[in-house]
Amino acid sequence: MPRRMVDRLVLPLAGSLTTYLLLVGGGIIYTAVGNSASEGLVTQMLINAIVVLGIQIYIGNTGVLSFGHIGFGAIAGYAFAVCAIAPERKAVQIPDAPFGLAEVALTPFQSSLTAALIAVVVAFVIGLGLARSGARSGAVAATVITLALLFVVHEVARNWIDLTRGGKTGLSFSPLGGVTLQGRGWIYLALLLALLVARLFKETRYGRLAQAAREDDLAARSMGIHPALQQMIALLLSVFVVSIGATLRVFELGSINPRLFFFKYTLLTLTMLIVGGRNSVTGSLVGVVIISTGSELTRYLAGPSVDLPFLDWVLRSGLTDVFLGASMLGFMIFRPNGILGDWEPDHWLTRRAARKPGDQPPALRPVEDSRPEGFLHATGIVVDFGGFRALDGASLTASSNEVVGLIGPNGAGKTTLLNAITSLVTSSAGSIRLDEHVLDGLPSHLIARAGIVRTFQNLRLFPALSVEENIEVARLATAGHIAGRSLPDVELLVRASGLAELRHRRAGELDYGNARRLELARAAAAGPRFLLLDEPTSGMGDLESEQMIHRIREIAGLVQAGVVVVDHDLNFITGICDRVYVLDQGKVIAVGTPDEVSQDPVVQAAYLGGPIGSST
Amino acid sequence: MTELLQQVVDGFGRGGIYALIALGIAVIFGVMHLVNFAHGELITVSAYAAYGLFVAGWDWWLIAPAIVLIAGLTSVAIEFVAFRWVRGAPDFTMLMTSFGVHFLVQAAFVMYVSANFRQFPRPGWIFQTWKVGGVSLEVFDLLVILFTLLTLGATYWVLQRTMFGMSLRAAAEDFDAARLMGIRSDRIIRGAFALSGLLAGVAAVFWLMRSGQAGPTAGLSPMLKGVLAALIGGLGSLTGAVMGGVILGLAEVLLISRLPEGLVGLTDGIVFLLIALLFVFRPQGLITVRRAERV
Repeated sequence: MPRRMVDRLVLPLAGSLTTYLLLVGGGIIYTAVGNSASEGLVTQMLINAIVVLGIQIYIGNTGVLSFGHIGFGAIAGYAFAVCAIAPERKAVQIPDAPFGLAEVALTPFQSSLTAALIAVVVAFVIGLGLARSGARSGAVAATVITLALLFVVHEVARNWIDLTRGGKTGLSFSPLGGVTLQGRGWIYLALLLALLVARLFKETRYGRLAQAAREDDLAARSMGIHPALQQMIALLLSVFVVSIGATLRVFELGSINPRLFFFKYTLLTLTMLIVGGRNSVTGSLVGVVIISTGSELTRYLAGPSVDLPFLDWVLRSGLTDVFLGASMLGFMIFRPNGILGDWEPDHWLTRRAARKPGDQPPALRPVEDSRPEGFLHATGIVVDFGGFRALDGASLTASSNEVVGLIGPNGAGKTTLLNAITSLVTSSAGSIRLDEHVLDGLPSHLIARAGIVRTFQNLRLFPALSVEENIEVARLATAGHIAGRSLPDVELLVRASGLAELRHRRAGELDYGNARRLELARAAAAGPRFLLLDEPTSGMGDLESEQMIHRIREIAGLVQAGVVVVDHDLNFITGICDRVYVLDQGKVIAVGTPDEVSQDPVVQAAYLGGPIGSST
Repeated sequence: MTELLQQVVDGFGRGGIYALIALGIAVIFGVMHLVNFAHGELITVSAYAAYGLFVAGWDWWLIAPAIVLIAGLTSVAIEFVAFRWVRGAPDFTMLMTSFGVHFLVQAAFVMYVSANFRQFPRPGWIFQTWKVGGVSLEVFDLLVILFTLLTLGATYWVLQRTMFGMSLRAAAEDFDAARLMGIRSDRIIRGAFALSGLLAGVAAVFWLMRSGQAGPTAGLSPMLKGVLAALIGGLGSLTGAVMGGVILGLAEVLLISRLPEGLVGLTDGIVFLLIALLFVFRPQGLITVRRAERV
């Protein structure tokens, strides 16, 4: 079996099944040995687990803080109740229900699916809005939009008396209340499916691209990832799972009212998610168990059966909510990634099964490229920042067979030129072409897909992803978007960048030099025609930066890309470049071989501070 | 016409309170990039303080300055206990931390006081109206407008003329650069929380005079209004926050008067919905001060 499939499918499945059996088995044992209340507690915990897994699919993969998921749950819960409650009960509670809903009679299973589909349709609309608002990790606009959903659904549920019977009484399945859901069969099934969906989504292309964008939205866009599609898929899956959980919750309680899916439940589920580790599926289940246990414990301690006069000031009703709030706050302050971080049980196995040292390294041979030599033209680029003109008609041409340097004093506009080419800043005039394609006005991710990929001066890796994953994700991002060439092998790039030993290390833990090399390999993995490198040797010593010359040549040769490189280190520039452009005050003042340029009196005046300066 | 004029004055009255809250949120966002969803807790605390002082027999004239002071101190205390630890953390962590504070304070009040709202008497004069040529204006609205202007004037003076204010604006402009220039981040952040707490305190006085009740969720509605107003104003911008508050106040009053009878109960929901729509199409707010991210 190919290693990739083992890593991405077999081991995660095995890990998830183990977790599932532990959770369900633990629940069964506790039910058997516990008292009469424990059965209900375990049932509730399993239902909460489904809801939390659903929320994890969205928040975990995209990093967007959503307060709206319980709002989707409310929509599903009401839709379920309205469909599933028997017509004769509805005749008593909501005789005037619109759209003839009072006569509808569906089985609970049909109702549950209908409810989930309705919630998913609403989620689709909200998802479009979130995409339009530029949702990314920690984006406030997205949080406010989802918060608005929670509130609006709540208000509607309280005021649309004909459909929901309002806020006071709510809807119920039988006049006596009590348990409607017989046994836990459906819960077990739904939990298993929710767990598998959540765990496997994390390994899919969509999941991984979403995680990259979660780690660094800007870098992801520069790698050709447009996170909107991934976020939408994550949202729809996530809302579907949450909805199924919500319908089970309603069915188990036998009734619904607006308070059932509002702030309290949002607090509970979000705390469960972040305590265990929102980026980990297993973690979210750990959180569910810990918070369920903790809540029960605090409820018991605060209850009448415990009487400790000296602790009277703590052990009183309301302790459970304090416990939840304190857990949320405490974890954010001391362990923001939760107990497990993004660990899954199969990671442990993956690392064990990792390539043995005896494996034959693949030969370093270039990717196949059927296209002729390519050209990058930037012509007459003008960029203004407020009143400051950072680029004033700068032009640059590079061939895919050469390494072009870009030098100039601080503030000359070197990085701005790279930013303008990759569409990170908008230019007010000028044109950018790759061969015969005009790239003007294209967003960053399309520039990357067209074949121009960059690195960043201040290093923008995907810190929580491993070295190998950083490279893989870049390859995934452009796969399917480029024609006429094959993409470089990940293994090859890992080796060529000298990171073979560190492949499972998180990118965020690398030292400076290795991080720079990884950023180079990641950019190359997208199979670009042109690599734009922004100060690839900054922070490196002389020896390291000399090695970087070979490294860049080798990797650019592997993917057959042209290189445009900005740097301050003149030895490095002279050593690597075929031609050099000199920028000053937003204009190109000289072009030529490194030797020609360094002899140019205009350059000496601008860059070296006058003709006398022969030192660098 | 006279009706419209009344509504505009009413809108400015509401908007003034929102502006004070939003300004506090924008000040904090400026120095630490935190959108403080726990800002409403200052008003919750003020509400309980007002209730407690009433029970102790104080008069509004004394309670008002006390509340402003208490809100300022509470703000500094919350920074010390919670936000100090997440300076420079990712946006997600900071957002979640502020929600954590919000939920925790709320839960603590439920636990130690009660989940129920406590009433206290409102000052008698707040319903008096003042007739000017056929237009009857609420004295309360005029007072709110007056005090808002005074507070904003004082804040403006602090920001423009004092060393602290200049450092704060510098930090809001570019925090790293400000630090390199020798501005002590610790002091600035603490000062920003104090300032934002005092502003919330002034807002709380008027909010409470109108509502006359204290409860664990008393701060929720003002917090949401403040966050929304700050977002309308483009977050980091202080002027934007004030304008956002006024816009929100006017929009609310005009909306309520035009809603059909059956939907009046939904006013808050509708306002929220409209603002969510605004963020869909202009996530950077109405008043744009967006700066490009450094790369």
